[in-house]
Amino acid sequence: MLGWTWGLLFAPQDAVQGNSYRIIFLHVPSVIFAELVYFFMAVCALMHLVWRVKLAAYLIKSAAPIGAMITFIGLFSGSIWGIPTWGTWWQWDARITSTLILFIMYLGILTLHGSFSNLEKADRLMSILVIIGVVNIPIIKKSVDWWSTLHQPASISVSGSSSIDPSMLYPLFISVIGLGFTLISLGILSSRSYILSREKNKKWASEHV
Amino acid sequence: MFNSAFKNFNEILDMGGHGIYVWSVYLIGILIIVISFLIAKKRIKEVQKKIKLKNASS
Repeated sequence: MLGWTWGLLFAPQDAVQGNSYRIIFLHVPSVIFAELVYFFMAVCALMHLVWRVKLAAYLIKSAAPIGAMITFIGLFSGSIWGIPTWGTWWQWDARITSTLILFIMYLGILTLHGSFSNLEKADRLMSILVIIGVVNIPIIKKSVDWWSTLHQPASISVSGSSSIDPSMLYPLFISVIGLGFTLISLGILSSRSYILSREKNKKWASEHV
Repeated sequence: MFNSAFKNFNEILDMGGHGIYVWSVYLIGILIIVISFLIAKKRIKEVQKKIKLKNASS
């Protein structure tokens, strides 16, 4: 909230884009987490496949809708941003397309899991699909460098200098952290209900409520 | 850095003609996040209710 207020009201206008750049404070954090959530799912998938950790599969299943949600926010905020800035709301540009593929991956993972009545089998196949889909993440990351596209290359880097002014960078940074905590708490809530529903026949679950 | 970029409330809403884009993005974005929190809370309640029913019957 602090990051957004700062970014929306106090940060100066962009020299080129005017005020529409203020969408950045929602757009950038959400696509960062669109990828991070997937990365988290991939780690869980590995844990599920290698060590057969049941909980890891539950976490994938609870994280996938959140990932889909945040990718959707990233996509639509980008496309509304595109209207005043690029003059178009959609382009089959490398980054936009690869992010759309990420969104479809999230939905595909959920559909695959939902299409099996045997839940253990569903967990396993879902993990395999998550691992396969992980190739998309570096493609999204590098898409703006590999292909010359409409989407601009990253203006912020963790190491070295950023090409963005501190007065815009700080609120953006706070927005990223804020959205991170928001998504973590959402993740805790939804995994709680999912774990309970999967383990509802166990003794601890009936003692828990 | 802490000087407001806008002079008054109307300017904040308008944002030099881009307000409609900026505010619609934030409105829809916040709405989606809030709804997903509500869904998550509702699911927890539903599961707890189910388990309680099962406990009561056994």
